[in-house]
Amino acid sequence: MANQYGGWAGKVLRVNLSTRKITLEDTVERYLDVLGGTGIGYKVLWEEVPAHVQPFDAENKLIFGVGPLAGTGVPCNGRTAVTTIFPTVSPMPLVGSGHMGGQFAARMKYAGFDAIIVEGKSDKPVWLHVHDGIAEIKDASHLWGQGIVRTESTISQEIGQESAVASIGQAGENQVPMAVVITGRSHSAGGIGGIMGSKMLKAIAVQGKMPVRIAADKQKWENLINLHRSLLGANNQHVVPSFPHPKSEYFNPGSRWVGAPGKRWGAATPAVTLTDDIYSLNRISFRTNNAAYFLGDETWKYTVRGNGCHSCPIRCHTVIKDPGIAAKYGIQELAQNTCVGLIYGRSFFPSLAKDRGTPGREASFVGMHLADDLGIWCNYGQLQRDFVRLHKEGIFKQKLGAEEYASIPWKKCDDGDPTFLFDILPRIANKQGEFGEVLGLGTGPMLKRWNLDEEKWGADKDTAYWKMGHPKHHANEDDGQCGVVINTQYNRDAQCHSHCNFVRSGLPIHEQKKLAEKNWGSADAVDAVGEYTPTNIYKMRRAKWAIIRKELHDSLSICNWMGPWIASPLKERGYAGDDTLESQLFSLATGHTLSRDELDKVGERIFTLHRALTIRGMNQVNMRKEHDQSPEWIFKDAKDKPAFSKGTIRMDKADIEKSLDLFYEVMGWDKTTGAPTAQAYKQLGLGYVADELAKGGLLPK
Amino acid sequence: MSSKDAIAPMEATMEDSPEGISRRGFIKGSACVLTGMAALKASEAFGAEKPWFIIMERASGMIVGDPSLCVACQRCELACTEFNDGKADPGLTRIKIGRNLQYGPAGALGTEKLGLWGNSLVVQDTCRQCPHPVPCSTACPHNAIIAQPGSGTRVVDAERCVGCRTCQMACPWGMMTFNEDKGKADKCFLCNGKPKCVTACPSGALRYVPWSDRTKTSPPRGAFLLQVPESKAAACASCHVAAPGGPRNPLQNPVPNPLFTPAK
Ligand code: SF4
Ligand code: SF4
Ligand code: SF4
Ligand code: SF4
Repeated sequence: MANQYGGWAGKVLRVNLSTRKITLEDTVERYLDVLGGTGIGYKVLWEEVPAHVQPFDAENKLIFGVGPLAGTGVPCNGRTAVTTIFPTVSPMPLVGSGHMGGQFAARMKYAGFDAIIVEGKSDKPVWLHVHDGIAEIKDASHLWGQGIVRTESTISQEIGQESAVASIGQAGENQVPMAVVITGRSHSAGGIGGIMGSKMLKAIAVQGKMPVRIAADKQKWENLINLHRSLLGANNQHVVPSFPHPKSEYFNPGSRWVGAPGKRWGAATPAVTLTDDIYSLNRISFRTNNAAYFLGDETWKYTVRGNGCHSCPIRCHTVIKDPGIAAKYGIQELAQNTCVGLIYGRSFFPSLAKDRGTPGREASFVGMHLADDLGIWCNYGQLQRDFVRLHKEGIFKQKLGAEEYASIPWKKCDDGDPTFLFDILPRIANKQGEFGEVLGLGTGPMLKRWNLDEEKWGADKDTAYWKMGHPKHHANEDDGQCGVVINTQYNRDAQCHSHCNFVRSGLPIHEQKKLAEKNWGSADAVDAVGEYTPTNIYKMRRAKWAIIRKELHDSLSICNWMGPWIASPLKERGYAGDDTLESQLFSLATGHTLSRDELDKVGERIFTLHRALTIRGMNQVNMRKEHDQSPEWIFKDAKDKPAFSKGTIRMDKADIEKSLDLFYEVMGWDKTTGAPTAQAYKQLGLGYVADELAKGGLLPK
Repeated sequence: MSSKDAIAPMEATMEDSPEGISRRGFIKGSACVLTGMAALKASEAFGAEKPWFIIMERASGMIVGDPSLCVACQRCELACTEFNDGKADPGLTRIKIGRNLQYGPAGALGTEKLGLWGNSLVVQDTCRQCPHPVPCSTACPHNAIIAQPGSGTRVVDAERCVGCRTCQMACPWGMMTFNEDKGKADKCFLCNGKPKCVTACPSGALRYVPWSDRTKTSPPRGAFLLQVPESKAAACASCHVAAPGGPRNPLQNPVPNPLFTPAK
């Protein structure tokens, strides 16, 4: 059955750590309607994990899922989705997913599996060795208590380097909710670590040489891959360089395409000078240097090379080397990470939070060294923002006992001394004291435990808090109402990039408007940042498209930090990408031909399953009132500029309510509650979901 | 690459006429072998078994990788097997990156640690398109690894290959691969002059260049076993004889390489 299709490995592995029973399922037979990745995750949770289950219960499940494109040569397919009852959602645990890149997705396919479902709880430390179509539960007593670096390298040494290992550190072992699982040294999935720890699962290693078949004619496939390659920009699909260049019509200083001619990978052996052919497809990997982008221009000197996921030419993780810092702090010379992972360390220090020079880099090196070994999640920077605010407002002083407060070297924090991190991060990983315990909980439970007002926490723009324990993630600061509505829909930070990969591509607004007209029927589907206009149906069509594509990407295995490809660097195409890429890639890889709209329907099914899980988990049908909330800060402006005036990202309350009206309308949901109607479920083949919700009175009237 | 005609055999049996061999451009740099062999009747020299020449025309091109440019994306591996074979096949890929990612070619137990757990350098393993004695080809008991006409690239003739895997053990750099679906050995054939891995590399870390001998300067990867099947041993013995001044060296003064054409 499975072999009739290309793309999928064809099997799903199910491991019960309580009974040590290992079983196999046929991917296509059971999960064709949800593709893979988060789709499989949501379906398993819906069918098998009842609403009352808590994150660290044995009944909670972890679904490591990839899709039919993982392991292939599709650019940017390296992310594994890990779906579970997420541990940092408040006021009650709800469905969520963490995502990690690296080699794991591809190697899991080559090991023969599209997903690994972990159930139950082991009574002693184990690791799971998945290889060549089988799995073995192995003793991990020698690894328990060790950091991630040692765990990953020890297993790789044992089983060979053609493998990928995802493991947890001390934070995960101690069931800290704010814990990650990490693979390939720096690719982490937030929130998953503690759940692995609760199951006493130290690591999963995947390994094998089972091929992934491409169903289509190989010439057609090669042509499509080459088209796709030509549409790529730099990281986050920034399609214009950050610097002026004779070959570029536009440039945009905010772009992550920073690889200007003459810049150097200064710590390569020997150093590499970037060349002038910035548009060459054989130089794509020179465009992005996120270490330089986030840590400052000086970091070029310490750059060894780009790194990143299997099959991805972008290389958003940068490898940096600084023997001076290593010697000064007694840490490794090499570090690698991307985005907020890079600035993890410096963000704890008010004086260094924006420092792009040596002090900031030092703190960041130390931060990466500790966080990626202990396995502490930052919740997209919320951990550090919470910390800074708790410190600034004297809340630590109030809430910690005098003795504990005095035991923390606050002066180091105020002085911007990176060794402060050696003190505080292990406290969090080891749940040491009230301080360690509370910071490891996540924002929601932290506010509750210390009796702090959530509304107040969300009133301040700098804290960037959104709701339910999690921060904003590309909201109105990037994309007006579209960003806001997307941020209302998830239970953790939205993690959606479909929208901002387009509006932040670096193209000037008039070019964006041309593309918007083509894709969503009107140039009004997009505004320039800080020049927002009142909401309209086109914006909400774009919001729907963005969310559906995110779920599609997480289920097919396409990186939503790069796609969809609405824009491209190609002037000769009017900077257009190709919105049918996903469906073309899917159809050629699997041989199961679906048009763009048909595949989008599948994405909508997957997202609607997420919605149903949320409704069931909250036991609440009124999503508009109880779930789809926005924080106060988005309705304010420091200079009190009114919403829709130039230079503000301020939103208008009535306009956001209207946006939700329109959004629910384009989703075919009930306008009053924002819940899908029985009809909406049925149209997506989710009649069984509607039936179950009906029994609990969880369908809109 | 499937038809036998497309890869005319560049070796010849002793029963072929010397002219015939010359016409195929075989002997260029090794006239002494031809002369030496032609002086004997094949059946006298080697008995009843059909013997083979084992000296192959030199390859004209090869792929070289630059480890300091490699960003470990493995797009070269994927291009190799998806565009040539219609599948992403980490076992079949004829350029090898994945096996060096974490510790480098010397592995976890080696003294020099590269890759993720070492200095972060990623070595691209590519076929050296070896000069005589081409280890994979020499080892093949079925003469299935031959020089492609026109380019001299060492290629597997799938019609002759019986899948015995002897060649896999013989390559000092572990560059022989195997197509498990077909039960046949495979190796880098330089994509018939248009290397797909080079085109695919997003970092300019691979180049397709005129051949030069890289076999003497790179240490072998792990254990290997260079075998000379009986049918070929006699051919070895025809050159490698005890002689005043040592054995004749047919590969002295190699001719320049007129065959190399860079890929577009
Ligand atoms: S496969 Fe190995 S032995 Fe054969 S030509 Fe290539 S490097 Fe040489
Ligand atoms: S597997 Fe290798 S040695 Fe055996 S017949 Fe094929 S090419 Fe020759
Ligand atoms: S030249 Fe062709 S056959 Fe050789 S490794 Fe590259 S892609 Fe594979
Ligand atoms: S495609 Fe280039 S950069 Fe990527 S692994 Fe291969 S040689 Fe390295």
